[in-house]
Amino acid sequence: MTARVQAATAGLLVPPVHDLGDGAVTRVRARLKSGIIDAIGGPPPGAPLEVGVPLLRRARYRPELLGLADEPFAWKPAFVRRSLGLEVVRACASGRFRGPLAAVGPVADHAVESWRRTGWRTFHWEPWLAGLGAGARSVVLAEAVAWVTPVWSTFDWTALRDVVDLGGPDDRWACPGVSVHLKGRVEARVRRHGARPSLLSVASGCPGNGWRDELAFLALIGALAVPDRPVASRVVGLWPESGFRLAVEVDEAALSGAVDRVVDAVAMCADVRTAGPVPVLA
Amino acid sequence: MGSGAGSDWRTVRGGTGDRTSLDSGWRPLSGGALLERLRVTGRPRPPVTPSLVADLQSLLGSGIGDLHSEVDGGRLVITKDRLTRALSCPVHRTADRLGERNFSVPLACGALVDVLFRQVVTTGAVGEPMAEALDGLALDGHQASLVTWISEMAPADLAELTSEVDRQTVRLVERWPALEASWLPRTQESIRVALAGTLVELSARVDLAIGRPAEDEASVAIVEVKSGSRRPAHRDELRFYALVEALRSQAPPFAVAAYYTRTGELDVEPVTHDLLVEAARRCLAGIRALAGVADNSVTDGTWCAACAALPRATTVARPPGVDDTTVVAYPHGQAA
Repeated sequence: MTARVQAATAGLLVPPVHDLGDGAVTRVRARLKSGIIDAIGGPPPGAPLEVGVPLLRRARYRPELLGLADEPFAWKPAFVRRSLGLEVVRACASGRFRGPLAAVGPVADHAVESWRRTGWRTFHWEPWLAGLGAGARSVVLAEAVAWVTPVWSTFDWTALRDVVDLGGPDDRWACPGVSVHLKGRVEARVRRHGARPSLLSVASGCPGNGWRDELAFLALIGALAVPDRPVASRVVGLWPESGFRLAVEVDEAALSGAVDRVVDAVAMCADVRTAGPVPVLA
Repeated sequence: MGSGAGSDWRTVRGGTGDRTSLDSGWRPLSGGALLERLRVTGRPRPPVTPSLVADLQSLLGSGIGDLHSEVDGGRLVITKDRLTRALSCPVHRTADRLGERNFSVPLACGALVDVLFRQVVTTGAVGEPMAEALDGLALDGHQASLVTWISEMAPADLAELTSEVDRQTVRLVERWPALEASWLPRTQESIRVALAGTLVELSARVDLAIGRPAEDEASVAIVEVKSGSRRPAHRDELRFYALVEALRSQAPPFAVAAYYTRTGELDVEPVTHDLLVEAARRCLAGIRALAGVADNSVTDGTWCAACAALPRATTVARPPGVDDTTVVAYPHGQAA
């Protein structure tokens, strides 16, 4: 294992730098609720507003896209690569495979076989993948390998195997009184005995100037969604395409920064829904 | 990936695709020998030195500080194709709009072989090349118009395309070695580097990257697959990849290579300090050209790949400062 991998892995295991004061989450939740209600200015027209990291980024960096309708859902490789890739990490960490390329086929086959045998869709994409021809299937597998390889090679997953939860369901929180839902997901949660956990988030592209708030948002939504669970102490962000690995230490100020970001995004969305899309600058 | 095709692409149809091997006795590498050629470049692998990356960033930064933020809507995306077009001399320049493509049989062949190469690396097998390539291509929403274009081809053209894709795939499967998973091979790896905040973004998607992240010395090799003929511009593209990877990973790749599926040629170039500096200079000239502040080195064809391929002595001046390196731009220098 290289020094770089050791350092990255240690970054997921270091003790918390900051204490989260008593009542911090309660205060932050109250601020978030009042901020959203003020920003939305009444019931939002249209469907409930779902706020996640993609929306936060769009509002900050590409506001002209806020008013565009989402494409209807259709399976594509980009929707499979994360869950398949994380399962590949699990399989490689167990020592069964020498790397993602060797693991991806057997892992995908096992998922499809399990679905056929039980009818249970662990990953949801099993029927879609099962129906693909060899060419399309290989694209899906290749996309998963490309996604997961930097994730696999950045950390010592074998060392983390007993303390890490990979993937898992999205964290969700509905703001009381308005149709605004918050949603977040992390790629890994690293448990530490007697200490707050660390989170790992993998993102595409380059980190923008709001990356701290975006990582803190994942700690915020985790704290709101499962109040009994310890609030994350640190969120590590990995941007493989641009080679960045950054971390934010979670304290009340970091959570408040995320709250401000959510409120700003909700306000922008409310404006767009009321007035139409933000004009595109020539 | 690219077709890399010139006007001689159709000679393949007449059965002269392997002329090199027939004429000279040269045989394309395959299996372990191909891998060895990629792995052993004949030069020591470059050390990972933070100062090198800092120098490259400084060089690039020195020429983009005066660009205006309204260029390309505030985010100028630089790709290898866009760079090559921007640096073409006025004679060879074609209209440039990001993502704009003129469909052709060679371009379609390149896209299909690209999908099949990925399939060979990932699964090691191809059954029906054309059908499976189209199957894979159809999953990429960005290729929808190309898939439609192929589906509307005249039967004779489609037959020609199918024949060429079949032929190249058979050779690819025969020659391309299985890659050890512990080397972390990955296909279509996306690399992005932001410069000047987010004003400029260097963007690359490499067909194949092999190797673990570098520690003390370079450990990654990059391979670009070409379904057409060799062209001087390919070297420039590979060097751009080396530059972007060096900036992204804070460590250069140790080699960049073009693999020609039609002939089995593997053109490997060891990555050196001078190569990266030259790539950065070329990239900077292209950025400035795209931003509308081109200097003489662009308008006189200094960086034009099409001019460089002409069989006469170059009439353009060398770029200022190039003499302080040992790099001689291909094809004036020798291919590896």
